[in-house]
Amino acid sequence: MSRYIPFFIISVLLISLVIANLLFGAISLSLHDVLRGFQPGSDSYFTIHEYRLPRTLLAILVGAMLALAGALVQGVIRNPLASPDILGVSHGAGLAAVVYMIYFPHSSISWLPAVALAGGLCAALILWWLCGHRSSTIKLAITGVALATFYASTVDFLMLIKPLEINNALLWLTGSLWGRSWPQITMLLPWLVLIPCALYLAKPLNLLHLGEDSAVSLGARVNLLRLIALAVAVALTAAAVSICGPISFLGLVAPHLARKLFGGRHQALLPATMLVGAVLLLMADLVARTIDPPIELPAGIMTAVLGAPYFLWLLIRTK
Amino acid sequence: MALTCASTLLFSALSQAASSHGSHSANTLDKPITVQDSKGTFTIDYRPKRIVVLEFSFADALASVGVSPIGIADDKDPSRVLPAVRKIIKPWTSVGTRSQPSLETIAALKPDLIIADISRHEGVYADLQKIAPTLILPSRRETYQDSLKAAAIIGKVIGKNKEMQARLAKHQKIMAAYAKQLPKGVVVQFGVARDDTLFLHTADSYAGGVIRALGLANAHTGKNDSASRQTSLEQLLSINPDYLIIGNYTHPSIVDKWEKEPLWSVLKAAREHHILYVNPNVWSRCRGIMAAERMGQDLVNLFHPNQIAPQQ
Repeated sequence: MSRYIPFFIISVLLISLVIANLLFGAISLSLHDVLRGFQPGSDSYFTIHEYRLPRTLLAILVGAMLALAGALVQGVIRNPLASPDILGVSHGAGLAAVVYMIYFPHSSISWLPAVALAGGLCAALILWWLCGHRSSTIKLAITGVALATFYASTVDFLMLIKPLEINNALLWLTGSLWGRSWPQITMLLPWLVLIPCALYLAKPLNLLHLGEDSAVSLGARVNLLRLIALAVAVALTAAAVSICGPISFLGLVAPHLARKLFGGRHQALLPATMLVGAVLLLMADLVARTIDPPIELPAGIMTAVLGAPYFLWLLIRTK
Repeated sequence: MALTCASTLLFSALSQAASSHGSHSANTLDKPITVQDSKGTFTIDYRPKRIVVLEFSFADALASVGVSPIGIADDKDPSRVLPAVRKIIKPWTSVGTRSQPSLETIAALKPDLIIADISRHEGVYADLQKIAPTLILPSRRETYQDSLKAAAIIGKVIGKNKEMQARLAKHQKIMAAYAKQLPKGVVVQFGVARDDTLFLHTADSYAGGVIRALGLANAHTGKNDSASRQTSLEQLLSINPDYLIIGNYTHPSIVDKWEKEPLWSVLKAAREHHILYVNPNVWSRCRGIMAAERMGQDLVNLFHPNQIAPQQ
């Protein structure tokens, strides 16, 4: 029974954050106005139905997807410091987006998600091509980090030689929920199929946690499992990043927090991670919108502010 | 307390909406106005009264014909709006940064026209249109000539075409008068300096266009398709303009550091004391009719420091 108490608490937290995200913003609304905002034609219809509601839902989806991807990667690499970033996916997506923004400044911005998605998936394919699917996890991780660094430095180089585009590119690269609405949610929906896939992997991931040899002797097909888990993580990350930009530290911090609260059993850990990720991103976006209205900070700055110290603390602890 | 506050807000917003709808019908035009904006055709069949602008150059265009926007994306810093513009327009509500304006603040203002920048706001064009008809024009990457064209389009849309054309004609006269007081063909280069970078605004940039319009010449910054380029001291030396105009965003800036280096004294502008300092906000962010006139005024003052022309 006690196993469910943390779930209950985090769910309550999630629901209260959803309500807070609807109530507060540049202009605080009363509960009454929020409810009226769901009816077309009412005064707060745009603010609630067209703006805050889709943004809140998007924060939940993107937070959950990035966190789940992080949990899968940590499960496969078996290192609490691993995150989707070490696969180079978000940096690959960032590079593709920056190239598109700099070299096609006059083409429609509506193609940006597709370009970023393609970039992220390509980055994963390059990693797979370099490592093959039988290589050790450590080789995979190190190659991924090297590629990610290469993409990041290419982005820096492009922004240095094309300074005029820095603002838009930097904005995208910090990760933000600003200006995202129902069309972006529709773009994300097909990818949600991956969530049950990921949850299905929970039991074999538990076996993998015992070590590769033990997992093999217990009947797990380790190479296949790794390939599927990483592919799902890649797709989840690429989809989320293509919509909101790379929101840093979420894929690292959320699974780690979830492991602290709910333990390492993946049946509990994976759903818990999604809840924690959603809560973190909702919190980050709420703070980003309300800290100094009407100025909107990118949510990615907030997750970095929360995530970077946590990461450092983690590094010191694991020594 | 919060509840009563919010309900008063709601009530006032409702009554405002009602009155703006009322004024719509009073302001309906016999013939709708159609212009070309960056997304195609823009049609409006009433005279807008509650305008929100998301770039400084659009506020400049409105102020040039005596119209006040109710909201400006001023980065929450009213001093960024050109002083000459601030003098004309009524107090406005900040709608946040130009890069990420707060859509809910814009919606709360109940605008009947939004003027947005194609380079910054294309991603939220659909959302803006849900709030109010949105005219989307170039601002951020625009040249001086583009900015005058955008002003002419804005003049038509707000039903002040005649006034805007007159203002643009007056602008040409003012600029010609400034040009007369400035030496012909002298090579002038403008750049904005921060703590560790100097960005030159090239011939393609807004400032480059204004400099040309005043009869001065742009420096050859090399083959470059970009309106702004980062420059080292050695590169600056190879460009070697007659006059160097610097806008310092920070103090001390990189130019203050370079002044202590021996290479700096080789620079033609440094040798002849032809380095002039201007307000970087006016020269790089504002853009627009009055901003260009202020830049012309700045140049006349800088070239003739003894006979300061009266501020208009």
